[in-house]
Amino acid sequence: MVETKRRNVIKLAGSAAALASTGMAGILASGRTPAFAQQKTVHWLKWVDFVPATDQMFTKDMVPAAEKALGIKIKLETVNGNDLQPRITSSIQSGAGPDIIMSFNSFTHLYANSVVDMSDLAEDLSKREGGLYKYARAICSDGKMFMGVPWAVIGGMIAYRKSWLEEAGATKFPDNWEDYRALAKKLKAKGRPFGQTLGHTFGDAPGFTYPYLWSWGGKEVEADGKTVVINTKETIESVKFMTGLWKDGMDEGGLAWDDTNNNRAFLSQTISATLNGASIYIESLRKPEQYQTEKGKPLNTDILHAPLPKGPAGQFGFHLLQSNMLMKYSKNQDAAKEFLKYLHTEANYRKFFESQKGFATPCTAKWESDKLWDADPVMTPYKVAAKLGQAIGFAGPPNAKAQEVLSKYIVTDMYAKAVQGMPAEESVKWAESELKKVYV
Amino acid sequence: MIEGALWRKWVFYNIPLILFVFVLLFPFYWMIITTFRPDGELYRPWNAANYMPFWTNHPTIEHIQYLFEETNFGRWMFNTMFIAMVSTLISLFCGVLAGYALARLNFPYAGSLGTVIFVTYLVPQTLLFIPLAQIIRNFELGDTPWSLILTYPTFLIPFCTWLMMGYFKAIPKELEECARIDGASRWKAMVYIIIPVAVPGILSSGIIAFTLSWNEFIYALVFLSSPDQKTVPVGVTSELIRGDVFFWGPLMAGALLGSIPVAIVYSFFVEHYVSGLTGSVKG
Amino acid sequence: MAVTAVSGAEIRRPVPRLRRLEDERWLAMALLFPTALLLGLFIAYPFIEGVLLSVTNQRVGIPGEFVGLDNFVKIWNDSIFRTTVWNTFWYTAVTTVFKLALGLWLAMLLNRHFKGKALVRAFILLPFIIPTVLSTFAWKWMFDPTFSVINWTLFQLGLITARINWLGDPDLAMTSIIVVNIWRGVPFFAISLLAGLQTISPELNEAAAIDGARPWNRFWYVTWPLLLPVTMVVMLFSVIQTFADFQLVYVMTGGGPANATHLFATYAYQLGIGTGLLSEGAAISLAMFPFLLIIVVVQLLYIRRVETR
Repeated sequence: MVETKRRNVIKLAGSAAALASTGMAGILASGRTPAFAQQKTVHWLKWVDFVPATDQMFTKDMVPAAEKALGIKIKLETVNGNDLQPRITSSIQSGAGPDIIMSFNSFTHLYANSVVDMSDLAEDLSKREGGLYKYARAICSDGKMFMGVPWAVIGGMIAYRKSWLEEAGATKFPDNWEDYRALAKKLKAKGRPFGQTLGHTFGDAPGFTYPYLWSWGGKEVEADGKTVVINTKETIESVKFMTGLWKDGMDEGGLAWDDTNNNRAFLSQTISATLNGASIYIESLRKPEQYQTEKGKPLNTDILHAPLPKGPAGQFGFHLLQSNMLMKYSKNQDAAKEFLKYLHTEANYRKFFESQKGFATPCTAKWESDKLWDADPVMTPYKVAAKLGQAIGFAGPPNAKAQEVLSKYIVTDMYAKAVQGMPAEESVKWAESELKKVYV
Repeated sequence: MIEGALWRKWVFYNIPLILFVFVLLFPFYWMIITTFRPDGELYRPWNAANYMPFWTNHPTIEHIQYLFEETNFGRWMFNTMFIAMVSTLISLFCGVLAGYALARLNFPYAGSLGTVIFVTYLVPQTLLFIPLAQIIRNFELGDTPWSLILTYPTFLIPFCTWLMMGYFKAIPKELEECARIDGASRWKAMVYIIIPVAVPGILSSGIIAFTLSWNEFIYALVFLSSPDQKTVPVGVTSELIRGDVFFWGPLMAGALLGSIPVAIVYSFFVEHYVSGLTGSVKG
Repeated sequence: MAVTAVSGAEIRRPVPRLRRLEDERWLAMALLFPTALLLGLFIAYPFIEGVLLSVTNQRVGIPGEFVGLDNFVKIWNDSIFRTTVWNTFWYTAVTTVFKLALGLWLAMLLNRHFKGKALVRAFILLPFIIPTVLSTFAWKWMFDPTFSVINWTLFQLGLITARINWLGDPDLAMTSIIVVNIWRGVPFFAISLLAGLQTISPELNEAAAIDGARPWNRFWYVTWPLLLPVTMVVMLFSVIQTFADFQLVYVMTGGGPANATHLFATYAYQLGIGTGLLSEGAAISLAMFPFLLIIVVVQLLYIRRVETR
């Protein structure tokens, strides 16, 4: 505590001295209040980045540079991703709060009435950078306006242990669910199951269950966004398969996992594969001496990534898409817009992109061919994460109702209930009745 | 205790007490170990041969360093302390006066007033924080400690009032009557006779109120936004849980450092209120 | 006139305003004023707003219309809500019984002289002091399916052969959050009851002892009745807090697995904040009210009866 205090004091003394020497003189010379008192402040609320280097880059480099370039003050605030929603809600309801707020997935649709149309910025971005992905467009735009400027996708891919899979006779990660299950079974018998969460957690649980459902041909609602069609043969089939898969090949602790548990389980070598952002790999790169395989090699040399397997209806992905919303109540909309433009200039966005080392995938096609993806072949699969993505609510639009289904974990719980012993037909019926209450 | 042999004392008092202390404090021991454990030892599954839950051979202070150098922890501690202290004092002041009025004075609607105060406590915070945000905005208190200092009493006052009512009721009526016969005014009887007797009650409701504000999460999350205005619970969770990775060491260090100093302060108080009490009840 | 003024100035000890405080009603009003002011400013409006919210169809950022009791009808037909009601009752009942019993026991253990008394009394409070969010993270780590120290201990003691899936099984998940709540709550009960015990004059007990009363009888006939008012108040607050518990479940399970641990507050939060259905969230929060009110009225009546006895 002493240390921080001292440093703050020094900082304070420093700024006071600066003010005294130049500031006071300046005020006296010009005879009016200093410019900084009239400066506009733009308040940006974002999640606390998984990659600490990125937040440091922002606070130490980008924000001061932007303040200088734009002549505004920028207040950067970071909170835990889970805590964004209470902040957004209370800001909207009280009509005061951050000017720019980072949105996860369909928050854009949820808060559509309270944000400013960002079509100009988004379309400009799309034009400059080789086109926005369909996924980003679906989530950030309702066809009439852009509720947010697409920022990045935190891709979800399966991280797996190369050597363990090889020992079980697999040279590459299975690309269909049957093989996936067979391999998982083999590995579980050796005490190295696959791991997946079916808990109430916003990232990995829907990241697995939604694409899984879609790949079997299941969907929650028709394209009209009204007719609930979850109760089909395909869905029931998928639920039954999941129950078997769970017993055969999954770490059964997964029912309780949140977004962090599979990282830990993987890093502690209790599971051989799990769907996740690149965070496991990045963490293992950060501390190679800490994470080692049972053979004493750095764990990061034994990790590879693969997309989720195909099902009868195709191959899908569902990722965390982040965008920045400019709030209607903001009194500094022009300045805030300037700041967003500034962030999205190529040189500045590149700083962010490179600090992420592939953890975040940009939302436009141009970056696919960036040399960053070649720098580390392990990360290469992530470059198309945003391309493969499909928005929630399929086949309907990813609107507020779809978000309600997501927030209530209806799809995830449908599988969780079956895994806990409820007959597949019944759990699907339960999901159907819940969905019908949402899509009235 | 007066009667009984030594073994009796052990069986009926010491052993149960030791068990209580053990169970209540075990998680803290766990936090201490996690604080000093190097990251390399953290990710060992429970059935691994080298799983060492209760000890570490390579203690490190890097997590504590991280907490102070990379986060604003010192500042958060100060904020939390200040907010908790002032809101507790306000609530105690209101609660003691209101509790006295409701417990020992006769006036119309005393019962229903007590109930109304009580009912405000029933309102869940998850419902309140949104409309409350509007009030905070209207008073332009957002992002200042006062947004919490003035809102925490909404759940602390009902609590203090009712707890104090309980304690005041336990004090015999005769005490006051004697004083009044001796010529003391009502006000004086309250300030000099009854309130001193209730000191243990005041202290314990103070401790509880302080703790409740120390703990509060949602209001602090919603009403504060600058990194150096935040309180310990909000600051620690928003800096040390990054995406899908927990920074366990600093997280546990923050939890510990955010609670043990308070316990030490309490230990002085506790001593105080015990001695303050033996004199007063006999009076 | 002049004479009275002079003598009045001399004996103006009890100032007129203070004299007015001799009237119980005036004094009561003065004493209640600060409370009324703060609560009126900061809770009356939000409360009314909350109630109004629950009878509209307001979503976040979209002004709603009056829909009467539709939201309540809707949640009544909601299977997750019904699970939530049951969970909350079970959670509250079990934790309260344990907290009271253990807290009382601990208070009695602490209510005597021994070495390091002050230290023990203060440190026993630690579970209550530590910010709930943070202690719950520690517990979560202890229940973690992959790293559970509890599993390790039980295994080493030979009590289990395979791991226990603490937070993954619906019943065990409920048990886990109950355990953590009790752990948090016992110190609160103990310290409040301890203060209550200390207001009881030891002479009463000594007198009873001289009369030959056994310890159990002394407790039951002397201590317990005197402790009852404080106990009831403490219990009342504990019940309300437990009933409206949020942080613990939010951090530990998020209401999962498959809604097995959802409580009123977490479900209201999930709906109101997570999906922006502010009105339904408010309705769920308010649905707590009648249940709480019944509990509270019963307890209050009991307190009155005890007091008039």
